[in-house]
Amino acid sequence: MAAVSQLQRQFIEYTTSLYNEGYLDDQFTQLQKLQDESNPEFVVEVVSLFFEDSEKLLNNLATALQQKIVDYKQVDSHVHQFKGSSSSIGAQRVTNVCVHFRNYCEEKNLDGCLRCLQQVKHEYILVRNKLETLFRLEQQIVQAGGSIPMME
Amino acid sequence: MFQQNKMAAKQNKRSYMISRSSSTPPMASFVKRVFGKIQSAVNSWERNHSPCKRRSLHRDVEQEDLQHINTNCLSSYYSVFVARLAIMVMLAILIGLLTLLTWHFTKVYTRTSLNALAYGLRYELLQRPVLRMWSILNSTVEITTAQVRLSEYVIRKYNKPENQAHEVELYEVMRDVTWALFASYRALNSITIKYKNGFVQAFHRDPRDNSTYYLYNDLTNYTMAGPYDANLSSSHQGWNDQTIRSNISAIWYREPLDPDTGEKIGKQKAIPPDELINIAGISQVPYGAASWHVAVSKFTNSPLLSAAMPVWDASQGSIVAVVGVTTSLYSAGQLMKELVEFHSGHIYLTSQEGWLLATSSTTPLLTNSSTGPKLMMAVDSQDPVIQTGAKWLLKAHGNKPPPNHEVHIEHAKLGHQIYYIDSFFLNLKRLPMVGVLIIPRKYIMGKVDERAFKTLMILISASVCILLIGCVCIFVLTNGVSKEMKLRAELISHLDARRKAEASSNYKSQFLANMSHELRTPMAAVIGLLDILISDECLTNEQYATISQIRKCSTALLRLLNNILDISKVESGKLVLEEAEFDMGRELEGLGDMFSVQCKNHNVETVIDLSDDMPKVVQGDSARVVQIFANLISNSIKFTTSGYIILRGWCEDPHFCTENGNFALDQKALWPAQKNKLLQQENQEKSSCEKDNKVILWFEVDDTGCGIDPSKWESVFESFEQADPSTTRLHGGTGLGLCIVRTLVNKMGGEIRVVKKNGPGTLMQLYLLLGTPVDMPLENYKLKYADHNLKVVLALNGSMCRMILSKWLFKIGVHTWDACEWNELTHILQELFIPSRYTQNLTYECSKVESISKQEMEVSVFIIVVDIGLLNLSTDIWKEQLNFLDIFYKTAKFAWVLNHDTSNTIKMELHNRGHLLMVNEPLYKSKMIQIMEAAIKEKMISLRHGILGGDTHEFLEIDNVHSDPESSNDSEKSELYSSSTRIVQVEETRRALSSSRYGIVNNCFLELTEVCSERNKLGANETFPVSQEKRMQYAEKPISEQKSLEGVRILLAEDTPILQRVATIMLEKMGATVVVVGDGVQAVEALQNPSEGGMTTQTKMRDPPPHDLILMDCQMPKMDGYEATKAIRRAEMGTDLHTPIVALTAHAMSSDEAKCLEVGMDAYLTKPIDCKLMVSTILSLIKLQPNSLT
Repeated sequence: MAAVSQLQRQFIEYTTSLYNEGYLDDQFTQLQKLQDESNPEFVVEVVSLFFEDSEKLLNNLATALQQKIVDYKQVDSHVHQFKGSSSSIGAQRVTNVCVHFRNYCEEKNLDGCLRCLQQVKHEYILVRNKLETLFRLEQQIVQAGGSIPMME
Repeated sequence: MFQQNKMAAKQNKRSYMISRSSSTPPMASFVKRVFGKIQSAVNSWERNHSPCKRRSLHRDVEQEDLQHINTNCLSSYYSVFVARLAIMVMLAILIGLLTLLTWHFTKVYTRTSLNALAYGLRYELLQRPVLRMWSILNSTVEITTAQVRLSEYVIRKYNKPENQAHEVELYEVMRDVTWALFASYRALNSITIKYKNGFVQAFHRDPRDNSTYYLYNDLTNYTMAGPYDANLSSSHQGWNDQTIRSNISAIWYREPLDPDTGEKIGKQKAIPPDELINIAGISQVPYGAASWHVAVSKFTNSPLLSAAMPVWDASQGSIVAVVGVTTSLYSAGQLMKELVEFHSGHIYLTSQEGWLLATSSTTPLLTNSSTGPKLMMAVDSQDPVIQTGAKWLLKAHGNKPPPNHEVHIEHAKLGHQIYYIDSFFLNLKRLPMVGVLIIPRKYIMGKVDERAFKTLMILISASVCILLIGCVCIFVLTNGVSKEMKLRAELISHLDARRKAEASSNYKSQFLANMSHELRTPMAAVIGLLDILISDECLTNEQYATISQIRKCSTALLRLLNNILDISKVESGKLVLEEAEFDMGRELEGLGDMFSVQCKNHNVETVIDLSDDMPKVVQGDSARVVQIFANLISNSIKFTTSGYIILRGWCEDPHFCTENGNFALDQKALWPAQKNKLLQQENQEKSSCEKDNKVILWFEVDDTGCGIDPSKWESVFESFEQADPSTTRLHGGTGLGLCIVRTLVNKMGGEIRVVKKNGPGTLMQLYLLLGTPVDMPLENYKLKYADHNLKVVLALNGSMCRMILSKWLFKIGVHTWDACEWNELTHILQELFIPSRYTQNLTYECSKVESISKQEMEVSVFIIVVDIGLLNLSTDIWKEQLNFLDIFYKTAKFAWVLNHDTSNTIKMELHNRGHLLMVNEPLYKSKMIQIMEAAIKEKMISLRHGILGGDTHEFLEIDNVHSDPESSNDSEKSELYSSSTRIVQVEETRRALSSSRYGIVNNCFLELTEVCSERNKLGANETFPVSQEKRMQYAEKPISEQKSLEGVRILLAEDTPILQRVATIMLEKMGATVVVVGDGVQAVEALQNPSEGGMTTQTKMRDPPPHDLILMDCQMPKMDGYEATKAIRRAEMGTDLHTPIVALTAHAMSSDEAKCLEVGMDAYLTKPIDCKLMVSTILSLIKLQPNSLT
């Protein structure tokens, strides 16, 4: 049980650090709250949906920005979608970059857009890694027979 | 370059001025002025340039602008200055040229013509003396020749005189002949005949005493034969002068003669030889030809012209005598004098050698030397002019006169004067002569020169005057132009500055608009974090208190922020009022509900009193209207500690100007100017008004607070103003509220002001000009309720509310009784109902309350409205009180007015007792109408039931009593409602049906919690058909958060799978049924083809909407949320369906919200979805729908 409690502590610390560093926000907590017996894998499901969606969007964005004539409207709608989905899972930093991204889109600033794309990618990969680590921890806890501690 | 030009121009100007400055005093002042101007210009130029260096040090944008403007002005000033100078210089040149040309031409032509005339004159002048001279010479020659011829004749006749007597006779004849000739020519000076033998006969005129003499020598000394030798040589010898001179011994006699007759008048006298005249001798005719010479004599002071001729003896060919004639040149001089007297100048004649022969002057022509008078040279003449003229000629030509001997000189300066000098040469063979004429130029050209000079002077002065006037004119004219230019430049710079200022103010508002998002986000974050903190359970009490304080502060800050942003938005003109139809009454009542909670704490009554003529639906910006009243009411609440706050509203149709009761009349009296203005406005806008159908809505907010000092009535509406600065400390606030209110009111075409009020407090009046839909029938409550014979007992705590309600009820023909406390209520009830029970037993007398007959009881509908506050809730007495009221339950309909803090137990108790009609405080008109309609409906139903069979009371009892076990009344209810459908109007049928459907639906969820089922039951029982315009205001029930959306069917249109999932889970957790679609097209389709439900009864009628609510993402593929909403709203057109649509968007600007509302959405949620906010939004929207039920 010591291992379990250590894992639990680790999980809590990790989650707290995610909140503190701004990777996640309140929305993620809400997601976690929504998870219950009827939907035991809800968070993982939603987050993996987010991953799929994000990969697709990032690809779209990259191709859209590589065009000779950049369709900023399209880029903007992609970014908007990305912003919506990231904010829905509480990936705060991605959302913030998306806000900047949209500003550049409005200005039709290609350099800014490309820079933001890189930033968004970066943030996305960061948050993905973090979340994956988090889920791994969760799994470990579950495997060890412990329960996942709820964050308040 | 430009500067250099400038300087050059300036220098030009300066030199020009210097040349001019010597002229006149006014000129000098002008110069001074111009000079001062130039100096100032130079100064300004310097000023303008020196800051250029400084400017680089401190880069102040504004100063730079200023500088720029300055240089602009200066450059234009310079250009004007240069143009002015150029025009002046050109004018000067033009005038100068004109002057010179005029002068030149006039002068040249006169001069040439005059010169030609003058030459003729001079020539003539000179010619005449010369001609005279010539004639003198001719006459002399003629006489000489005549004398010679006569002498020859006489001598031939007396050739060879034999004796003395003969000789004497010859001499006598010669004397007579000679005298005849001499006498015939007056001009002759003398005639001499010298014979060969030396005898001389001569006649002589002495011009001094005008006497004539005859001269002869002694004849005795001569031998007759001697000299008449044929020997030429001897004769020649004999004729030499020595002979004559040596013949000194000869005695000369002179005898005076009568000048006319030649008679001897005196004695002959012997005269000394020096008294002799010139006797021409043989020596003067050396070759036997005539000879000329000029001689002088002591008898005359003019030179004499003497001619000598020999008298030949024809036979011997020898000279026998010599005749000499002398003529005075005096007459020539005389002529010259005459000429010169008439004209002017000087004339003189000289011989070729320069000896002076005649002059026009009176100076002597001869010099007296020791050897007698001699001729003098012209250069030695005593007349200065002649002398200098001769000298000048000598100097010019020397001794060699020009070949033709004629000289014409026009500019000879002799002494101080200029003369014309002309000379002619008279070429005589023996005596060539030169005539010289000296005429002063003044004589010929004097007048002309004078005139020319005068003309020149006049021309110059005239041109100078014209130049001056021209310059002044140019100065004056260009002064105006330059002023205009200056003004124009200034105007341009002002425009520029204004544009800049506008741009900067635009930036400011843009900045504020951008900031709104940026400011609200952190505030929202702060508040959100605080919420999280507050929900943390492990907080100590102290921490909790602190955090809730912080939260309060931050919400206050956010509100303040919103206010400021509103203001800035209004100021930047970005505030656009939308035009949408909304129910004014409903909005205001909602507002009243909201504030009543707040007021309760203050012990203040909030009353809303809207008159019946208010249009139900108006067009305008509901949010802004609500903001106006929210601000006003919150303001009132802030300053009111006890008493009431009344929001009155009434309508004034600008077209009909109907009487609107006392208030309207008051209004007119209070704001006459306002009224006039309005009337004018109406007249102007009559036609447009008819189309727009505008109405004026009057409102007043009346409170019993601390009031506002009349002097501050205007200023309270200014930004950041409060009536009393000290109140800020007491009540807080920024003072922005009223400012926003006034701006909004003005924007809606109205006005607001504080009005005098009797009693304490403040009375604010405002009116709004809002549009109404074209045909909105006004409801006539009077007709509707009067014939139902309604009787209402109002047992309310709030006196104001009660008063207003009873007044209104009275107006629409409903009988009312008032009670403000429990005892009064019981009294009234007993008086009303007890006597009817015991009519036989008791006789009741009451002045106030009349007893009602049994018959009347049957037909009239009693409604007893009881404020829950009347019950004694602190103890258990309230149950007893309820028991007391139960007595009247059968005869009257009870309606309860609940507080927001009424406890659940009381509500439960009321339910259990069958009191199902409950409304929340505050009670106002529309709630009252609901109550009355419910009562009427019930009465109708019970009456029908009574007719159909069975006791009405019984039925009602069953209906109401059986309501607690809701599972059992399923069939009964449907039966009940199906029966009701038959008796109510058709248009109400559907509503009843749909509500029954909800009853069914609700019953499907039988596993609900107790509270939920209670709500369900309430809904089932309280549902009554309501007119469409009415909003059902249900009693707010405590709702469990978990299942608050039980039974609500929601269509979720969202393309992002994550959000789909999240929202679905959230909603399902709340108990809602969720249908998910991926885009707008699907959403529209989902609405049009509803999935088959268990609604078999409705198939004949129009399908009710399959979804109670739609959550619509704004940005979706294929069809976005806005389009989808529009499509849905289009589909709904013509039906009375209205499916609420809630926008979901990641945009956070209010413009997006406006856009959402514009396309027909009802509410607006931002991503990420906040669960609580979503639930509350959904609930509020679903409740608004009359045909949906939760």
